[in-house]
Amino acid sequence: MAAAMELRCWGGDWGLPSVHTESLIVLAYAKFSGAKVTVSPIDWTWKTLTATVPELLCGDSAVQEPTQILNFLRKQRFNADYDLTARQGADTMAYIALLEEKLRPALLHTFWVDAENYANLTRPWFASRSPFPLNFLVPCRHANTALSRILLMKGEAPLHRISEVEGKIYSDAKECLNLLSYRLGTANYFFGNLPTSLDAFVFGFVAPLCKANLPSSPLQSHVRQLENLTRFCDTVLDVYFSSDHPCPPPPVQDTKDANLQKLTQLVNKESNLIEKMDDNLRSSPQHKPHRPEPKPSLPPKNPLSPWIHSLLD
Amino acid sequence: MSLAAEAFVSQMAAAEPWPENATLYQPLREDQILLSDCASSLAVQAYLRMCGLPVQVVCRANAEYMSPSGKIPFIHVGNQVVSELGPIVQFTKAKGHSLSDGLDDVQRAEMKAYMELVNNMLLTAELFIQWCDDATANEISRPRYSSPYSWPLNTILAYQKQLEVRRKMNAIGWGKKTLEQVYEDVSQCCQALSQRLGTQPYFFNKQPTELDALVFGHLFTILTTRLTSTELAERIKSNSNLLSFCRRIEQSYFEGKSS
Repeated sequence: MAAAMELRCWGGDWGLPSVHTESLIVLAYAKFSGAKVTVSPIDWTWKTLTATVPELLCGDSAVQEPTQILNFLRKQRFNADYDLTARQGADTMAYIALLEEKLRPALLHTFWVDAENYANLTRPWFASRSPFPLNFLVPCRHANTALSRILLMKGEAPLHRISEVEGKIYSDAKECLNLLSYRLGTANYFFGNLPTSLDAFVFGFVAPLCKANLPSSPLQSHVRQLENLTRFCDTVLDVYFSSDHPCPPPPVQDTKDANLQKLTQLVNKESNLIEKMDDNLRSSPQHKPHRPEPKPSLPPKNPLSPWIHSLLD
Repeated sequence: MSLAAEAFVSQMAAAEPWPENATLYQPLREDQILLSDCASSLAVQAYLRMCGLPVQVVCRANAEYMSPSGKIPFIHVGNQVVSELGPIVQFTKAKGHSLSDGLDDVQRAEMKAYMELVNNMLLTAELFIQWCDDATANEISRPRYSSPYSWPLNTILAYQKQLEVRRKMNAIGWGKKTLEQVYEDVSQCCQALSQRLGTQPYFFNKQPTELDALVFGHLFTILTTRLTSTELAERIKSNSNLLSFCRRIEQSYFEGKSS
């Protein structure tokens, strides 16, 4: 089995396992896929300044950034997207892009740039979780990074002032939340009855917005009106992060299935080549025609290799 | 634009029908325009043709500076100037022309999500390859971008633009990526688009939408532009349904267009 995995992330508050969006995404995915990950919060350590959060340590390797960490977990056979079709995998990529483009700037603004929220909630929280003298540096640094990111992405020359951009990013974010709400509908999760990586991303983005005690946030009031999104966050928290209930088992994947899938991949890679050779071989009667191995029964589809399905369908 | 200004523009837009002399401005086609701008411009042209709205394409060396948001392309309709595909779609909708009216809420959510995927992955990859890859930047992007200007302005402007794009790449986390990783991202994006398209003629079955225009703009431009390496075009060509999609749109909407 995989070596012990340790995740460095920001600590939790407001009923959430972590207040940091990226850390929350990774934590949620780890729970959904059944990966056993030791959580080591970087609160009150010097790592608040030096570490890139979240970071997954496994043996000798260190992986950063949620997308890379999720890929790493999938390679270790912790795959919450096991049952998705290729099309659903494509939809996952599209919705994650939507979250990054439309929702992230507004979240950064709400937590780090909006003066009232920053002074009353974000800065005290992060300052209280950093050792002296980092409590002066860490929140400032995050706030500056957030502001420059928003301006670089959304600030249109010559309007390089944040006030011009605010209206646009909030209306984009509200539209994004509405679109997520339409997509979720009345279901528990975005794809069927089990949560997937898209659910992890949406949870990571939306949960801090729902749960934080923000003094002033029109975006928070907007998301609280979207009942299915708040219900979604509460469901994930109750089912996967509540200390009372044990976590439900992840989608069943055993060694045999993984090997079978690898075999299918290999076979299908070769079958293209073989079909091309087939024509040549048919024309020479002394060679027996080469047949590809009989395809095994279809394993659950994996969105990481959609081209299999274009061959199998 | 602030929200109030946008609402005002929409109201004014709704008042008049689409005029005959609408113009679309872009940089000079032969010498100056770069891959990403050409893709965005082609997307807007495709969209307007799909709506059946006539527009003249005019090439100007200072198109980027004329644009209200600094981005290419922009259209000049009546006495209003609108840039970028998103606002242009809203503008034409205010005038009563829309391609996505027939979609329900979930489909519209999907369409917007896929449009963001194209912007997030394909457009960013185009910008990265143009400005952050030294070979392409030195041989193609900087000379082309600064071709209308004389020394020393051409050097200053080219480096300024390169610095600006590199800062943006760093801000969104693409600064540390290698070219190979970017090609891989493009492949994944194309596979996702290919999966979504499947065997249908357009992304939302029978009728084209702004998503089709956007995807066509980017893919067609990448396939027909000569860069330092053909890797990007090869990655797209591996999805045959995307190739036939581009050909279909080119034949349906651009036949008889003077190149």
